[in-house]
Amino acid sequence: MPKRQDVKKVLIIGAGPIVIGQACEFDYSGTQACKALMKEGLEVILVNSNPATIMTDPEIATRVYVEPLRAPFLEKIIEKEKPDSIIPTLGGQTALNLALELHELGILKKHNVRLLGADPAVIRAAEDREKFRDILDEVGAKYPKSEMVRTFEQGLKVADQLGFPLILRPNYTLGGGGGGVAYTLDEYKRMIVAGLGESPTSEVLVEESILGWKEFELEVMRDGSGTFVVVCSIENFDPCGVHTGDSITVAPQQTLSDAEYQAMRDEACKILNKVGVQTGGANIQFATHPVTGERVVIEMNPRVSRSSALASKATGFPIAKLAALLAIGYRLDEIQNDITKVTPSCYEPALDYVVTKIPRFAFEKFAGSKDFLTTQMKSVGEVMGIGRTLQESFMKALNSLEGSSEGIPDINFQVDRISYPNSQRIYHLFQAFRHGLPLKQIQDWTQITPYFLEQVEDLVRFEGEIAKAKELSRELLLKAKRKGFSDARLAKLRKTTADAILKLRETHQILPHFLQVDTCAGEFASSTPYFYSSYWPQAGTPIDFRAPAVVIGSGPNRIGQGIEFDYSCVRGVKALQKMGRQVVMVNSNPETVSTDYDTSDILFFEPLTFEHLNEIMRLAKPSGFIAQLGGQTPINLAPSLVKAGWNLLGSSLEAIDLAEDRGRFSQICRELEFHIPQSAMAGDLETALGVVQSIGYPVICRPSYVIGGRRMEVIESEPELRSYFDRHGEAISPDKPCLIDQFLEGALEVDVDLVRGEDWALVGGIVEHIEAAGVHSGDSMGVLPPQRLKDETCSRIEEMSLKLAHRMKVIGHLNLQLAVKNDEVFMLEANPRSSRSVPFVVKAAGIPLIDLGIKAMLGVRAKDLNLAACNWRDTKQVSVKGVVFPFKKFSEADSILGPEMKSTGESMGRGDDYAEALMKALLSSHVQFPQKGEVFFSLRDKDKDSMLPLVKELKAMGYQISATTGTAQYLNDKGVEVLSLRKVHEGRPHCVDRIRSGEVAFVINTTRGKQSVEASFDIRRACIDLSLPCLTESDAAEAFLIALRRSRTGRFEVANLPQMKPH
Amino acid sequence: MNAYLVLETGEIYAGAWMGGQDRAGEVVFNTSHSGYEEIATDPSYMGQIVVMTSPMMGNYGVDNQVWESRQFWIEGFIALQIQQSGRDQSWIKRLADFGIPVVSEIDTRNLVLRLRGGGTPWGALVQAGSEAEAKQKAQSLIDAKKGGDKDWVWAASRRAVEVRPGQDAKGPRIAVLDFGAKENIYRELTARARELHIFPSRTSVSEILASKPDALMLTNGPGDPADVQVATGTVRELIGQLPVFGICMGHQILGLALGAKTYKLKFGHRGSNHPIRDELLGQIYMTSQNHGYAVDAKTLPADVKVTQTNLNDQTCAGIYSESRNCLGIQYHPESHPGPHEATGLFDFFVKKMIGAPKK
Repeated sequence: MPKRQDVKKVLIIGAGPIVIGQACEFDYSGTQACKALMKEGLEVILVNSNPATIMTDPEIATRVYVEPLRAPFLEKIIEKEKPDSIIPTLGGQTALNLALELHELGILKKHNVRLLGADPAVIRAAEDREKFRDILDEVGAKYPKSEMVRTFEQGLKVADQLGFPLILRPNYTLGGGGGGVAYTLDEYKRMIVAGLGESPTSEVLVEESILGWKEFELEVMRDGSGTFVVVCSIENFDPCGVHTGDSITVAPQQTLSDAEYQAMRDEACKILNKVGVQTGGANIQFATHPVTGERVVIEMNPRVSRSSALASKATGFPIAKLAALLAIGYRLDEIQNDITKVTPSCYEPALDYVVTKIPRFAFEKFAGSKDFLTTQMKSVGEVMGIGRTLQESFMKALNSLEGSSEGIPDINFQVDRISYPNSQRIYHLFQAFRHGLPLKQIQDWTQITPYFLEQVEDLVRFEGEIAKAKELSRELLLKAKRKGFSDARLAKLRKTTADAILKLRETHQILPHFLQVDTCAGEFASSTPYFYSSYWPQAGTPIDFRAPAVVIGSGPNRIGQGIEFDYSCVRGVKALQKMGRQVVMVNSNPETVSTDYDTSDILFFEPLTFEHLNEIMRLAKPSGFIAQLGGQTPINLAPSLVKAGWNLLGSSLEAIDLAEDRGRFSQICRELEFHIPQSAMAGDLETALGVVQSIGYPVICRPSYVIGGRRMEVIESEPELRSYFDRHGEAISPDKPCLIDQFLEGALEVDVDLVRGEDWALVGGIVEHIEAAGVHSGDSMGVLPPQRLKDETCSRIEEMSLKLAHRMKVIGHLNLQLAVKNDEVFMLEANPRSSRSVPFVVKAAGIPLIDLGIKAMLGVRAKDLNLAACNWRDTKQVSVKGVVFPFKKFSEADSILGPEMKSTGESMGRGDDYAEALMKALLSSHVQFPQKGEVFFSLRDKDKDSMLPLVKELKAMGYQISATTGTAQYLNDKGVEVLSLRKVHEGRPHCVDRIRSGEVAFVINTTRGKQSVEASFDIRRACIDLSLPCLTESDAAEAFLIALRRSRTGRFEVANLPQMKPH
Repeated sequence: MNAYLVLETGEIYAGAWMGGQDRAGEVVFNTSHSGYEEIATDPSYMGQIVVMTSPMMGNYGVDNQVWESRQFWIEGFIALQIQQSGRDQSWIKRLADFGIPVVSEIDTRNLVLRLRGGGTPWGALVQAGSEAEAKQKAQSLIDAKKGGDKDWVWAASRRAVEVRPGQDAKGPRIAVLDFGAKENIYRELTARARELHIFPSRTSVSEILASKPDALMLTNGPGDPADVQVATGTVRELIGQLPVFGICMGHQILGLALGAKTYKLKFGHRGSNHPIRDELLGQIYMTSQNHGYAVDAKTLPADVKVTQTNLNDQTCAGIYSESRNCLGIQYHPESHPGPHEATGLFDFFVKKMIGAPKK
């Protein structure tokens, strides 16, 4: 079956903002699919609301729409573009659900659009748990006993029948949203309520527990003629009970016999066929009993998934690309294997290495949240390590996490940290073996397969051998490297320095080999330049290096450093290639586009540590490396790499230091006569108390060298300052002092992204924050062009930014944060690199900032550029950046915004005016606009006067108003009729009771100061649980009102992104 | 003492000796991730030292149930790492108990690239104090091994006739020529047959016909089909008289009997991921493969069609003649190890080719 002739114009739906459970892997899959379909000569229309993605670069598709992923917007795009087909299987659950909605609303039929890859029946069959169970019955597959619960009362009955513990899985949610394990009736009652609320169909599958069973996943593909392949088998290190996204996983599976594996494979094929998946990728999860081998099916996804990205990177099999090609009619045997170039794509990859994936968590960002892992996914990113053996790959993955250069540092052991799954369990497992706990005991507590525990035990036993040996012989050192020990860990064990270990390795010629990921275990020659390092023997495949530029990626996604930096890296790679440079990409994150084997010229899938990068450079002999695209990770690595003799492209270490070192930065700001907030440093509380005297409260405190505002807090009083040092004392010392800055209450903040070359500089845009100072820039909504700044203020900001860039001798990117208060501009912070806001700015202003940054780094002069064409002020459309938070997943965490970043993703709304852009950005951030009902207010005194017009307007729009006692009193005095509600501490029924009873449509709750924040926690938590808009900031409330007003008109347009400006 | 793999072409690879005795064989590689015990007990691997490309072997222990014959046939087992923990080292132990050399830590990827590039040479796994000593030891082992009878099928085949009851009373009675059969061929046949009569490879036509068979099955087996004695003539005579189904060696013997030629592939096909286009079942699927020789499609008579093709290298993977009612399949529809999609060929044999059994 060759390509279908009736498919000419395809609409691809992206996954929207990054949320836990649906992250940048869908950028990877969507981008790959777009590229493949464009190459086939199709017109490809892409819609995604997430500006941080590579797929929304105007060059990736024929036309790109950055619009809300909601039915009315999709319909408008369909009307405008008239695609003949939609591929809904590449944008995660969001795209599938949206496709289903478009079908149900009759929009597809009306516009004569077909779904490719999965039709509504398939989507329902796989996602509707009752239908899916019927299918399993038909093919004779087993599954855990379970019951679909639709009401609370029925839920109680079901619990009685099945017995505890119970697993809850709400229908049609992603990342196991709203699900979990209930051990007691109390827990169960709470979870069933939440789960019914979370499921769009108010259904929760309550399932008997298979805790402790072994968990597996098969990544499979099928083409239209029925050819079926298993791309990758994945085995979970953590047994059932931990969401597979939160589990450490290993590929290929290691502990099933061939008979067991083939039976699983057969069942997967039968299920896929029965569900009715015609073409494309799918994944199916299984569990097997550790003793009896009994097998049950957990679930299936009839689409490209999180694990497909992992499977693609693990095997070299481009699942998303093939899913797209199969959807338009090709068969697997008609598509060539990209890697070997001689064999067809109907094959199952044979691996001669092992891959380990380890998730990365962010519990520390959510004060109060409990670090426990359940069936609801909580990790925010992941790393993958490739090694010849399980141990090597496992240790490389641990090194990739960027937690400790030792990979497996010594920690304080806690028994409960291994018996209850949590984000730190793996470190405690190592420590448990270090303390000599018997494997049997650990197995009993964790139910982890002994095969895996033995690997850990052996590593620990070997640590002992290293520590005890008289000298570190060549043989021992080689053995250690083959087991994946980092130089830093060996140094710790030998009580020496990592540098000394490196020297010793060089003396003994113990250097890694670089092996190829070739999909076929060496059976066929292949030329694809995708490599990993190993200390196991192998004559290295000769690689044709031509003085490449090495781009260092951003590693695992975390809050504060995510997909935005992958955008910079990928765009940077392409720009370098356009300039004729050979490019080496290094990254450890399997979800990314940068680790696609056809993004760069040569890909190294390696940990981003000095040790691994140094070895790559030793081999590649690069003309230079680029550290300013991948966020803070490469910036932190730059000094040691330069010290090792490698050439840093762009801004020098000196320029980087001027930005990173607060003292030096303040110094040059003063030199340039900029206003800066008063600031001081304090290594201990005593000093802090002293310096605050002269600065005056409020102040903002943070430790040195942080990203994403970690441990950053606004402090309003002495008790709060004492409490801050109490809580964060361990991160503060005289050589790592706490930075104390004057806090500019109520100031307007802006982000500036600029690029500077030898004899030129260009501001890419100014993003005005919608929330006032005090909210981390990553969590603040933003708008370009600025809406509230005067023109002369904008000019002043640009002038200061350029001055600073020149003074710092920046070459390449510079991101600045400034604040405006009473028309005075303050310089706050500089980042000597591409930033989180760059992709947004690029798409809002249409200026190819990354390309210009590369040109700057390569020394291109002004005369060879068309800088005049790149003026962000020419931008006609208004773009608003929205933000998405994971508070739902962290049920104990507070949703109030502050200087510590908590958002996982961003959205973008574009419009002819501010209101439209705001409305779209909010819609894309999953905010609802209640058209009627009650608005509840709880305002701090400072905000009351300024918010009065807003309250009145809401009243005029027909909303009822309620408020806490104090706020109500104030409003009544001002003549606004309002329902007075008790605060929580004033007794019941109180305002939270009213919110939870469903009477309230949305909430405006402004507060500051530790005590009042804690007092109002329950209000915000109730909003999160019920998915109600909750504005915690007066400026945000005003913006919400503007958008709300606009949404009531029902008017909106859609427009594709213009091509980038020539430069 | 160190462990060495010495190739007759002179290359030498150092590794770690895990057990067993020095032995020689043809060095071949297999890309399956699992199924090591099935592979080691498959008679087709007779005389071969098997290199697993998958780096971690022995992980799930051993299991008598999965044996494909009554003994081990391989002459050596090489993998980068083989399970050896206090809890479980059963795979190493089992091989060593049968005297089969087990070697780990050899640079298997480099070795595979060598085998891929220069064909599958003879070699020996030896323990020696030095490379020189290793080469010397290996040479004598290789010479001794090569000097034996070349009809490996005869060596692997049974000596006595066996009658096995089938599970389908309405099914056919099938005569089987045992060339070194995998147990699962018998399992697949008994599930569909009334009775199996299993004969040694050099059995005469009359003896076979005396069992009144409805069809003839030719099994897999080791070695070069051109060196097999008697069987080719036997099959040539029976074609036309009985429906004939040959697997692997059986397929090659069928090819020879039909007048075609066989040839040695550069490095063979061994693994569980080989794509096949099957025009009889009308499907493309993954198969289990293990063969070093192939039927040369150009030499087939006009009324025999190539109906199965290996999509990796377009070699002939199956032949079928409706007029002569014979089918040859180069890969392993009986799997073990490997995927099960080709099982339908047994149904094709029993239902389509044999049809309703004679009374």
